[in-house]
Amino acid sequence: MTNLSRYLRIWLASTRYSLVRTMMFRGDLFIWALVELFWISVNVLMIEVVYSHTSTVAGWSKYEMLLLAGTSMLIQRFLMGFFWSGIFEMGRNVRSGAFDFFLAQPGDPLFMASTRKLEMDGLLNSFVAAGLVVYSARRLGLHPGPSDLALYACMVACGVVIHYSALVMSMSLSFWITSSQGVEGSYFTLMEFSRIPREAFSKGLASALFVWVLPVVVVSNAPARVMLHGFEPSWALGLCAATLVWFALAVAVFRSGLRRYTSASS
Amino acid sequence: MLKYRHAFVVGLQSNLVYRWNFAARSLFSIFHLVFIFIFWGAIYAGNASIGGYGFAQTLTYFVALFVLQFFIGAFNEDYQISEDIRNGLINQFLLKPINYFAYRLSVFASARVVSGALGLVALGVALPFFRGYLVLPHDGWRIALGIPAMALTALIQFSIAYCFGMLAFWFLEIQGFVILSMAVETVLGGQFFPLDLLPPAVFRAVSYLPFYYQAYFPTAILTGRIGLAAAARGLAVQALWAAVLVCVAEAVWLRGLRRHTAAGG
Repeated sequence: MTNLSRYLRIWLASTRYSLVRTMMFRGDLFIWALVELFWISVNVLMIEVVYSHTSTVAGWSKYEMLLLAGTSMLIQRFLMGFFWSGIFEMGRNVRSGAFDFFLAQPGDPLFMASTRKLEMDGLLNSFVAAGLVVYSARRLGLHPGPSDLALYACMVACGVVIHYSALVMSMSLSFWITSSQGVEGSYFTLMEFSRIPREAFSKGLASALFVWVLPVVVVSNAPARVMLHGFEPSWALGLCAATLVWFALAVAVFRSGLRRYTSASS
Repeated sequence: MLKYRHAFVVGLQSNLVYRWNFAARSLFSIFHLVFIFIFWGAIYAGNASIGGYGFAQTLTYFVALFVLQFFIGAFNEDYQISEDIRNGLINQFLLKPINYFAYRLSVFASARVVSGALGLVALGVALPFFRGYLVLPHDGWRIALGIPAMALTALIQFSIAYCFGMLAFWFLEIQGFVILSMAVETVLGGQFFPLDLLPPAVFRAVSYLPFYYQAYFPTAILTGRIGLAAAARGLAVQALWAAVLVCVAEAVWLRGLRRHTAAGG
């Protein structure tokens, strides 16, 4: 418990530092908030264009698809807001030797490196993504109860942990390869699948890989299904199991990479 | 020309240092093709044609776009240029008889040779799975117009990246602008969906913007989404945009240099 409160205090100090830093560069905050808003709009536009030519995709109507996209974006905005900067800079820091800074700090290096900066633009746009979810739910005539909303929130949190783990694993490659430049792109490529309904995957290799091995589809589909169909034990348990496995894997890969780290020359 | 050839060769060598990064990226990008296959497959389920094109034609469009981007896409040139400015590395170019735009274009060309080769490797891996779905038209004029369109697309992509890199003369941090422009370019360049799926009036308006020529136009020529007359007219507009953007890049460079202060020994 003492350890947990110590980490909470460290995180609050990082949050305070990030807020002060953000207020120093208000123009930057505005530009990045606009960037995030643009990407959300781009995804919504794509759904609009697709549904102007068809009425359903894998059995999902336009507003069900918007709900799924909104959920996927909500998870990504939380990841961007809470962890992106820290994990993204990890690659550069490992290459330059600046990662020493995190090793000298009073806490777990992964925690220290990945929670150092909060990006307010991502957190601001999580409201836009949540707005998209609420708008879609209203258009679908959904009235989720408190338990459904709580379950939805838990599943979104699980999704954030899975995204976090995937990104940590991607960036940990910088311990092995010369430069991790562009590796983050592979994360975005994989996360494209979170905008696809589960039903689009027919049984076979793609289903096994993207639904079960890499839970990119489950991450967004599970919370969206809670809103659409209520509690489904198989989806909830599957997501919880995937969260635990992915987080454990990310920590293992990061620690294995850290053992190779030899400061500025690595 | 000799100095730019040397810049090309040095660029080639330095890009080969990062060959494993390029290889990892190109192999990972196969997942993007898988995404396209599954997502557009679901859209086409129950629809024989969307916007006048079948599933095979749309998949061919995205596969061609995927390969072309490796050969002509500007990936992080804007970042490299901004770093040159921020770190004062451009000072060395101001003292030498070398044109910075031409130098950067040579380095860009060398990077695209390496990424293009690795893109072909990725295509080679993906092709056995997609071959049955690809339908390429056999008109000879498509190659004759497609190759200059690709070259002009590369020039447009590079010039836009160059202009964004130049923003470092005015701003400390330019990544926000770069990613903002990337969102616009991705949509209006036809990377999210073929632009011909837009309402006709919007499609016509978009065809006059430079973004249309950043990816959609050469891909549409090569995959049979536009006819000869539209391709010839488009090539003229594209050449005009390339000329305008090169002039803008030069103007921004000259304006930026007025603000530049070279410090240190």
